[in-house]
Amino acid sequence: MSTPHSSSTSSSPAPHRASPPQIPQSLTLAPPTASSASPSSSSASGMRDAAEDDSDSPPSQMSEDDPGGGGGDRWEPDLRGGNGGGGRWAPPDQVLENVLESVLEFLTAARDRNAASLVCRSWYRAEAQTRRELFIGNCYAVSPRRAVERFGGLRSVVLKGKPRFADFSLVPYGWGAYVSPWVAALGPAYPRLERICLKRMTISDDDLHLVAKSFPLFRELSLVCCDGFSTVGLAAIAKLCRHLRVLDLIEDYVEDEDDELVDWISKFPESNTSLESLVFDCVSVPFNFEALEVLVARSPALRRLRVNHHVSVEQLRRLMARAPQLTHFGTGAFRSEAAPGGGLSVTELATSFAASRSLICLSGFRDVNPEYLPAIYPVCAKLTSLNFSFASLTAEELKPVIRNCINLRTFWVLDTVGDEGLRAVADTCSELRELRVFPLDASEDSEGSVSDVGLQAISEGCRKLESILYFCQRMTNAAVIAMSKNCPDLVVFRLCIMGRHRPDRITGEPMDDGFGAIVMNCKKLTRLSVSGLLTDKAFAYIGKYGKLIKTLSVAFAGNSDMSLQYIFEGCTKLQKLEVRDSPFSDKGLLSGLNYFYNMRFLWMNSCRLTMRGCKDVAQQMQNLVVEVIKDHPDDEGEAEIVDKLYLYRSLAGPRNDAPPFVTLL
Amino acid sequence: MAAADSCDGISTSGGGWEKTVTLVSSDDARFEVREAAASLSQTVRRMIRAGGDGGIPLPKVDARTLSTVLEYCNKHAAVPAPAPESSSAEAAAVDLEWFDKELMHVDLATLCSLIRAADYLEVAGLLDLTCKTVADMIKSKTAEEIRQMFGIQNDFTPEEEEQLSRENAGVFE
Repeated sequence: MSTPHSSSTSSSPAPHRASPPQIPQSLTLAPPTASSASPSSSSASGMRDAAEDDSDSPPSQMSEDDPGGGGGDRWEPDLRGGNGGGGRWAPPDQVLENVLESVLEFLTAARDRNAASLVCRSWYRAEAQTRRELFIGNCYAVSPRRAVERFGGLRSVVLKGKPRFADFSLVPYGWGAYVSPWVAALGPAYPRLERICLKRMTISDDDLHLVAKSFPLFRELSLVCCDGFSTVGLAAIAKLCRHLRVLDLIEDYVEDEDDELVDWISKFPESNTSLESLVFDCVSVPFNFEALEVLVARSPALRRLRVNHHVSVEQLRRLMARAPQLTHFGTGAFRSEAAPGGGLSVTELATSFAASRSLICLSGFRDVNPEYLPAIYPVCAKLTSLNFSFASLTAEELKPVIRNCINLRTFWVLDTVGDEGLRAVADTCSELRELRVFPLDASEDSEGSVSDVGLQAISEGCRKLESILYFCQRMTNAAVIAMSKNCPDLVVFRLCIMGRHRPDRITGEPMDDGFGAIVMNCKKLTRLSVSGLLTDKAFAYIGKYGKLIKTLSVAFAGNSDMSLQYIFEGCTKLQKLEVRDSPFSDKGLLSGLNYFYNMRFLWMNSCRLTMRGCKDVAQQMQNLVVEVIKDHPDDEGEAEIVDKLYLYRSLAGPRNDAPPFVTLL
Repeated sequence: MAAADSCDGISTSGGGWEKTVTLVSSDDARFEVREAAASLSQTVRRMIRAGGDGGIPLPKVDARTLSTVLEYCNKHAAVPAPAPESSSAEAAAVDLEWFDKELMHVDLATLCSLIRAADYLEVAGLLDLTCKTVADMIKSKTAEEIRQMFGIQNDFTPEEEEQLSRENAGVFE
């Protein structure tokens, strides 16, 4: 509210892309409108200020401002509520004015809150003051300044950065998504912030240090697929966030210069006994195990612990003895540190697992010795989630484990499981909701050890399946059609046939009918990844039936620009579209002009786009940022062929931190 | 708590001796209530402490609304505090939840009267309950539907409204 402002209203011309962030500034004020000029309303806004200082106080305290006096003169008969016995009622909106913030505190979904903010000015202000969680799907879609200006009392911020194809190394190093400007803005604005969750962002040690210093009540940090930091930053978080409950480091790339390694685990102060979750299996550097053991011992609320591959089965056993209450456990290496024959016995380890009665989710196995696998048998029947995606285990090694996992809901595994192992999953895990089969060798010409046979088996045995990610080389339409019929509850279907343009392995036909069946029969589908030999026909199906699809990934597919047109015109809920190595040109891109503003982003790489087509889009679309990214950052000058296009809506205008290999059109 | 003049007397209910107080609604209806129940209202509690004759006047609450508020207070003050995690505690919680749910089966005008009364009387639990009920009614509604529901005037300019819609849809999804 203290932001300088002009007195003009926001009836200025439509914002131009190159101008500074367009802010409905008049909305950040408290305009003295006719309906809000009464004395009681100014007391209500005083209440709001109090609420901003300490919004955790219950409503009864917030109304201390007006302990019984005043306001009575505003009571007017309300004939709308005419079923009462002569009482005097104020119109609902006047009643709500006093307690609006208390009402909105109970509204949590962003969609509901957005609707409430649009009702009128006083609702806008009340909503902005009571929103506690902010989710921003693209950190470049809005400036941190605007977010801070609008929302008064955030407790939790979730930010996403790089395009998703960064996971496949398609986004060059140094592209952007730096969290620094966000941390700098959030710090002064939200002293009561408790939670930050970042995905695919770059966060430096300095940023982490600033986070730790800025938020005295900070409780939860989750970094997913992030980079830029090291154990130095982790040490700052551990040491300074005295109320920390959750530190989840998931699939991050942590800098590991040997000379700067810090013993970060031992930095948790002894006074911190409230840790609930500690996940650091991606932090691949060695750490102080004794300090972890002590930390675990003084954390009775710890439910989730995932350690890195430096932890041996002997150490695992010590941790389990300290924390029998764990529900989620990442095992580290799952191998003995001792010389062959001298290590922990399987029976001893099995005893530890048997004593961990709360375990429902097991992961890790980063350097697994299969001989120890029988040790987890005692917990298998209770497991709802099992992640073997780092364990190169054969079907023979996996089958005895799988056969015990009768309650599994989520199963991640490498394709070394083979069709035979998947058959065992199908036979045992009738409750399965999510299956991910990752490739041991992700190269295009790898052999691949699962196929249509495994997929068909899964569809027959796991009929409650809602989500599948399946990397393979050989597939048939028949198997995909079977899955579409047997698993009608599928919400996520991601089939990645790794070799380019692979047809049905039996008929030699394109995979069109298979994917067509998926969109036709799985009515809840919101996420789809297609691959293999596909013609425009597949995309015609997707456009016609994929009405709920929000995220679509396309690789090596389609035969003309019609494919894109079918998608843009048909998939009306589409939010995210990513395309690689497909024969789509400017014409296909331009067919999306009317739809880009409904989408969070479009990513295309290795297609047939030209600079002219991309510029065309940029010129025609306001509030849309068009980035062209060079494959080889050293290439000089402006090429006519576009390597990578990343296009997204933004109210903040073009970013100012783009590296030289990114051109903002 | 010090005995106050506004306490009308001593009654025997449930075999025990309990203080009662008399509350007077805006339309002069008198309600005799156990002090423990009435004290769920911070406003009433303060007035009991302040003392006074002839019952506690509550000029902002009519009889019909007050009777519902007191129904809530009586129920919630009656609940003993058994050992947590005992089966009787669980049963009592379920019973209370059911009672609250039933109490909220009212039209919007009545609900708003209750909110106003709960706010004025400072009955924190009832205020939460009524506010949550309103929040549940707002869920899944559009801004226009909410305006109609509460008779609220849209005071945004069309430009502001468009800009806000765009920001809501495009950024703060």
